[in-house]
Amino acid sequence: MSRILVAEDDPHILRVISLWLARQGHEVLEARDGLEALNIWRHQRPDILVTDVNMPGLDGLELLDRIVGDRNAPRGLVVLTNRWDHREIGQKLADWGVHVVPKPFSPTKLAELVNQLQQQGLSQSAPAPSE
Amino acid sequence: MSSNPQDSVEGGVGKRSGRWTWLSERLRREALPEVFGVAVVVLLVASAVGAVVLAGAAFERERVVEQRERGNRMARLLAAAFARCSASVPEDANDAAREWATAAGATWVRWTDAEGAVRAEWPHETLAASAPSQDRGGETFVAPVLGADHSVLGRVELAISRTGLDAQTATGLRFAAGVAAGAVVLAYLALYRRARRQLRPLAAIRRSLCDYGAGVEQDLRALAMSASLGQVAECWNRLIEQVANVKRLAEGDPSGRTADTAVHRFESRTQRRLLNALPLGVLRVQGGEKIVYANAAADRLLGYGPDGLTGKAITEAIGEQYANALLRGQSRSPREVLMTRKLEDSDYVATLRLAATAGGDASDDIVVTVEDVSRMREVERSRDSFLYHITHELRTPLTNIHAYAETLTRPDFDDEQTRKECYNVIVSETRRLSTLVEDILNVSQLEVGMARIELDDVDIVRLLRAMVQDHLAAADGKKVDLTLSLPPKAPRVRGDKQRLAMLFGNLIGNAVKYTPAGGRVDVSLEVVDEMARVIVRDSGIGIPPEEQARVFEKFYRASNAQSASTPGTGLGLAIAREVARLHGGDIWLSSEPGKGSTFVAEVPVSSTEPAGRTST
Repeated sequence: MSRILVAEDDPHILRVISLWLARQGHEVLEARDGLEALNIWRHQRPDILVTDVNMPGLDGLELLDRIVGDRNAPRGLVVLTNRWDHREIGQKLADWGVHVVPKPFSPTKLAELVNQLQQQGLSQSAPAPSE
Repeated sequence: MSSNPQDSVEGGVGKRSGRWTWLSERLRREALPEVFGVAVVVLLVASAVGAVVLAGAAFERERVVEQRERGNRMARLLAAAFARCSASVPEDANDAAREWATAAGATWVRWTDAEGAVRAEWPHETLAASAPSQDRGGETFVAPVLGADHSVLGRVELAISRTGLDAQTATGLRFAAGVAAGAVVLAYLALYRRARRQLRPLAAIRRSLCDYGAGVEQDLRALAMSASLGQVAECWNRLIEQVANVKRLAEGDPSGRTADTAVHRFESRTQRRLLNALPLGVLRVQGGEKIVYANAAADRLLGYGPDGLTGKAITEAIGEQYANALLRGQSRSPREVLMTRKLEDSDYVATLRLAATAGGDASDDIVVTVEDVSRMREVERSRDSFLYHITHELRTPLTNIHAYAETLTRPDFDDEQTRKECYNVIVSETRRLSTLVEDILNVSQLEVGMARIELDDVDIVRLLRAMVQDHLAAADGKKVDLTLSLPPKAPRVRGDKQRLAMLFGNLIGNAVKYTPAGGRVDVSLEVVDEMARVIVRDSGIGIPPEEQARVFEKFYRASNAQSASTPGTGLGLAIAREVARLHGGDIWLSSEPGKGSTFVAEVPVSSTEPAGRTST
């Protein structure tokens, strides 16, 4: 079982992701914005990060910018995006080896991706899931 | 136009004084030097010739006098010599005559006695005695042979040939004659060249006209003369240009009218006025380089004063890069470029679209249109921004509905509490989606002017109470104090109840949305000048002054509203203003960032009835 940090400003989405991941037996840490997520990452060292892009304060990209490259970075990085966001930032995410899940997403597939990342214990070489 | 007579008077005066100036200029520049030059040349030639003639005549006169004196002296000397031997004529009188004659330089000598008999002669006469003296080799001189008693014993005749001029005098005379001849030749050449130069343009004109008349040359412009031929060529070329223009106009006239100058003048004036009235800039570029016409809009859009573009190079007017792309690009016409230009004395940066098409006549002129597409670009940008926000806003409820519906289908989540939560989220997100779609529909209806209002007698007090009631839950959830104040006499308004609900709902909803916890939102109603005025005052984040004018634009969201990540489409206030205006009212605001905003909407009152002051 992994420790998973979920950063998402929409409470309903945050809630449904937490619900699914907890039901899979993971420990879920919830953050409602980027700064809160950064804070939780510093103190609790999650294995996997699932983050939204548009968030108040520190957005998903700025959050990843601070985390990627750190030796304590989570093994698995997943970003939930809108198609429009993805068009602008796709290359950057690919460079970082981030898995992109476009919205609206299937919670089943997100849970599968998280399980896959946990089993591999390595996110960088994993192929991005197709929607 | 009233200014015409004045123009023509001034024009007349100008023309008269202009003609004088022109005439005096011509005199000064051309006629005077001409007359002066010719006079000087003639004087020079005349004086040279005169000097030579006078000198020659003087020499000749002096020489003749001298020779005559010498001849007479010789004749007298010979007469004296013959007188001494007159008593006895020597045998060798003829020999003596030869000797003396040779010594005196005479060509012929004869001594005749008083009776007329020849006593001596050299050379012996072969000619008749009556032959004229010049036949004897020169001028003849006669002297009487006098005896000791001064009696005439006979006479001596002798002929002395005229001697030539001496060498120095002859050289001098030859030199003077040479100078005179040279001067004559030079004068001739000067006059000839001058005449030829003046006649050359005339000859060229004659040749051109013959060519054109014979049909050898079709293009009038080919008859233009080289500018090196001077002023005549310049005037001729201008004339050719004007005739060519008139001809072109006549040929381009679809009705086939001939080149009636008055008609053309009228038409070209009308066309110019029409072109100047266009918001579209129009340029005519000759030879891919020179702007020969620009209308008022072109001058303005490209940042030049009136008539500032005409005569300029297109590369100078719009920059070489754009001019090349526009006039010398690869694609076929019309070629287009987009450029930005900051207008003088303003921060406004206009986006201009320039399109080039062929001039539409025989010439290779190019017509360039200049269009300010800033507004269009702005609309495109705000539409993009709208689409971005709408997509984002639609995606959020869709994501929730998708995720929660999927959750409901899984047996892992079959506990009652989770199922209920899923249902609630699906219902609320569906409502959110439906409101959003409704907003989009409303705004598109208002945008294309299709919105109709169903006018009815509306109890505005009841409507406001209902609206406040609707937002109480949200306000309570955020710990925002929402109150409503009503006047003692409640007005009724003529309006569309549903759309008014939309108007007030948007204002109250915004106020609650942008007011942080602990703040307050006060809704009040007043009647001012037969208008029901609804005032929504909040203690929220406010709107920056520079953005206040724009918040009623469709899809526009104030920067601080966006950065607060408050969901919104940027449509609510646009809808509110349209609704207020459809009712014959209006909406406005005052705001201070960080302190709050006050929105005021007013609609016309239909009647007033008493109502209690209420606070919710």
